[in-house]
Amino acid sequence: MRENEQLLRLDIEKAYPEFQMEVALHVNRGEIFSLVGPSGCGKTTLLRLIAGLEQPDRGAIILDGREITNLPPAQRRVGLVFQDYALFPHLTVAGNIEYGLKVQRVPAPARRQRLAGLLELFGLEGLAHRQIQHLSGGEKQRVALARALAPEPLLLLLDEPFSALDYNLRQRLRQELKRLREKLGFTAIFVTHQQEEALSFGGRLGVMENGRLVQAGTAEEVYENPATPFVAGFLGEANLLPCSVEWEEGRARIRLDGNDCFELPLTEEFQPAGFPAGKYLLMLRPEDLSPDPVLAWRVTGKIETLEYLGSGYRLEVRCGAGVVRAFLAKKYRNLREGDRIFLGFDPRQVRLFPAPVQEERHT
Amino acid sequence: MKRGNCEGARSRAREKRPPAGRGDCTRREYTHSLAREKRRADRNPVYLILLLLFYLPVLTVLARVFFSAGFLQELAGFLQSELFWNTLSFSCRQALYSAGLSLLLALPGAYFFGRFAFPGKRFLRSAMVLPFMLPGILVVLGMVVFYGNNGALNHWLAALFPGRGWRFTGLYGFLGIILAHVFYNFTFCLRLTGEAWERINPALHEASALLGAGPFYTWRRITLPLLAPTLLYLFLLVFLYSFLSFTVVLVLGGYLYKTFEVLIYIEYSSRLRFDRAALIAFVQLILLAGFLYLQALSGRRLRREGLFAGTLPTLNIRNYPGRTILFLLYLAFVAFFFLSPLAAVVLRSFLSRGQPGGLPGLENYRLLLTDGFRFAVGRNFASVIATSTGLAVTVAFLAVFSAYYLARLRRDRPWGGGDLWLQLPLGVSFITFSSGLFMLAGKALPPVVLILWAQLFLAFPLVYSILRTARRELGEPLLEAAALLGASPSRILKTVELPLMRPALSTAAAYAAAFSLGDLAAVLMLGRGRVVTLSVAIYRLIGHYRFPQAIALGTIFILISLLLFLLMEGRARARLQDIFPRPEEAEEE
Repeated sequence: MRENEQLLRLDIEKAYPEFQMEVALHVNRGEIFSLVGPSGCGKTTLLRLIAGLEQPDRGAIILDGREITNLPPAQRRVGLVFQDYALFPHLTVAGNIEYGLKVQRVPAPARRQRLAGLLELFGLEGLAHRQIQHLSGGEKQRVALARALAPEPLLLLLDEPFSALDYNLRQRLRQELKRLREKLGFTAIFVTHQQEEALSFGGRLGVMENGRLVQAGTAEEVYENPATPFVAGFLGEANLLPCSVEWEEGRARIRLDGNDCFELPLTEEFQPAGFPAGKYLLMLRPEDLSPDPVLAWRVTGKIETLEYLGSGYRLEVRCGAGVVRAFLAKKYRNLREGDRIFLGFDPRQVRLFPAPVQEERHT
Repeated sequence: MKRGNCEGARSRAREKRPPAGRGDCTRREYTHSLAREKRRADRNPVYLILLLLFYLPVLTVLARVFFSAGFLQELAGFLQSELFWNTLSFSCRQALYSAGLSLLLALPGAYFFGRFAFPGKRFLRSAMVLPFMLPGILVVLGMVVFYGNNGALNHWLAALFPGRGWRFTGLYGFLGIILAHVFYNFTFCLRLTGEAWERINPALHEASALLGAGPFYTWRRITLPLLAPTLLYLFLLVFLYSFLSFTVVLVLGGYLYKTFEVLIYIEYSSRLRFDRAALIAFVQLILLAGFLYLQALSGRRLRREGLFAGTLPTLNIRNYPGRTILFLLYLAFVAFFFLSPLAAVVLRSFLSRGQPGGLPGLENYRLLLTDGFRFAVGRNFASVIATSTGLAVTVAFLAVFSAYYLARLRRDRPWGGGDLWLQLPLGVSFITFSSGLFMLAGKALPPVVLILWAQLFLAFPLVYSILRTARRELGEPLLEAAALLGASPSRILKTVELPLMRPALSTAAAYAAAFSLGDLAAVLMLGRGRVVTLSVAIYRLIGHYRFPQAIALGTIFILISLLLFLLMEGRARARLQDIFPRPEEAEEE
């Protein structure tokens, strides 16, 4: 397999009443690219554009070196697993899986062989002649996957395929999907609105907001270096604290609104030219905060809420004008609501975003 | 006794927890009354009386057949007669053509209704019930006025193609009968097929396309198999309706064409051979038995397969200009085919002599008040209107009251055997029932009572189906919530249940009234010439070739049907409020 070779490239625009879709994206051969974003941000629409179920106003979609922008869905060699599976209710499991093969006029012996292989691969051997309405959610999901993969598409699109399933089944099927990808080597775009799901595939992921792809990269890159406050807040929890940056003799002073003040060390990215004095949002992940005395950089405040989570504690600490959330280990079991606490952090974990411009109020 | 206990419990509980005690008590009261009703459901007097009312006349026909002397010889003679084979052949042929054409004509419309969203869709969908609600005699009148030898169509043909001699002369015969049956059933098929199409998840078509299938392959392998249960069900239903057709065949069939219904009527009414009428009714029952079994099977399959998905979003037709044009052409054709006969009736009613070229005015309506009308019809205009509306209101009340009472009793049960017994009228021809009823009680009861009995039998199955489904869907949580808030069972019924059920009740009442108004067979057979309704009056006016009065009366009938349609759609009240806003609403605006 030619890994890291771009299988799909697209740069398209389409106007919708709700938003303007503008997406430039590439997907490498053999990877599962996770597309994540809140409901209504255009994830499913993007899949439909790639599948040819809708047409872009401008731009091009290149799949395996061939422009498919104006090709009908039947000629694109793209498979799609629908959110509600869209299994043909009048056909059996086998009938569903071999539908695409029959359309392609695959000879009967080869078709039967492929069907048997897929039934075995997906653990559906005993269900070949079962009607769709007699399947469980997980079985339906596997039939939908098998049907989409049967005609050997170049690209598989998965539109929130696990959303209708319970938590345990979702986790199991995610592992199965990863195993299948390793075995079959297909390329897929996996749409989800659940950050945990997006991160779990370990491949690259893209975050969408209002019809735009705001950031794409490996899961670690996007999580650790979010491009915008939206990405920071959407992938994992993030404290976004209003603050101001002041520069004095090449040293940066960060003043949190109504509370602590500290200096941040200069790094390659954090230089006066990139962050002129002004208002910013300071991002700190809750898991990066800890009342550890060795940490010199701190925010201080009073514990407002304290929740026991089993694996540890979740705190909300009132720090001046804002509230800071933190996840603490079990060893901090002596803490009580109302206690004053400091939360230390490693300055390398801090991210700064320009504060959104607020409209002037006229009274 | 229960009430006393309840009050006692309430007073005991008052000191400890006054607000909750009342709710608990009334809830207990409510659940107790519910349990009592459930126990009574199958041996309820209303249920048993209805079963007797429905089955006794049919059993009377069978008894008359079996206990008549020489039953087997009579039967063998009839089965070997040319009359039997001609009637069977004609009934089957016309029913096949009617069912096939109705579906064929409905399919393109169903496609547009099932796949696309367009302005006015909801209204058009509702309006499709209208032909089904129109009385048979009115449909026949419209056909005669538009497609008849001297009808509007022939006038247009003569004006558009002078000298060619092109005329449509097929109304009084096989073609006319099929035309009328298609008129009756096509919109009904369109609506139900469209709804079935709408329930097919659009993602199935997309999945098929993504798997490489073209539109025709997708239609053949996905859409058609999914529509098949609905199409089969409707085909059998229209076949059954057409096979049992009475009014249309009676008026348009002439001497040559008869269904078994018309044959029974002639034997019973003209030749007064009751034994012979009963024998033909028996043969028809046997013929229908197998057919009804098939129909029930298809209905069951439809209900099972209809569970896949709810109604799903449709495509906006504005994004498909080619299909918009096709849809508009289709609508124009349908409007011409279906609205023209009714429009011709209404327009000609305002032309003197009811003919093209007549002077505009209300002369035809004035003729309704003359002795000529009374001579042809046998009653004056006011009496006809009063009899028709009186019967319709009584039948609607009786049918809705008894059906809702039973629907309430059986509300927590799935549709089952007890309900099927009440659906008998769907499986027995109305003429057979009416003849049996006359044999059973014709001499003991006055004609009006017999007609009410027969029309209750006619209207009950649909009224019961509507109310049974609606009441079951309402469920219990809302009513239990009201009970928990302290409402008594009667108050719950008055303030929660009946207001929520009002749309279903008005729909059911409108259907019952429409059936009563449109019934010709029972009034002709059981009225002994003394009861004259709107349908009978129009039938007699057509028989006397008094078309000006017939179309004026037909127009009034169309107006009444429209009002019933509005009532059924629950719009009448809203529409009246639009026209006459209440003072406070007007002030707010």
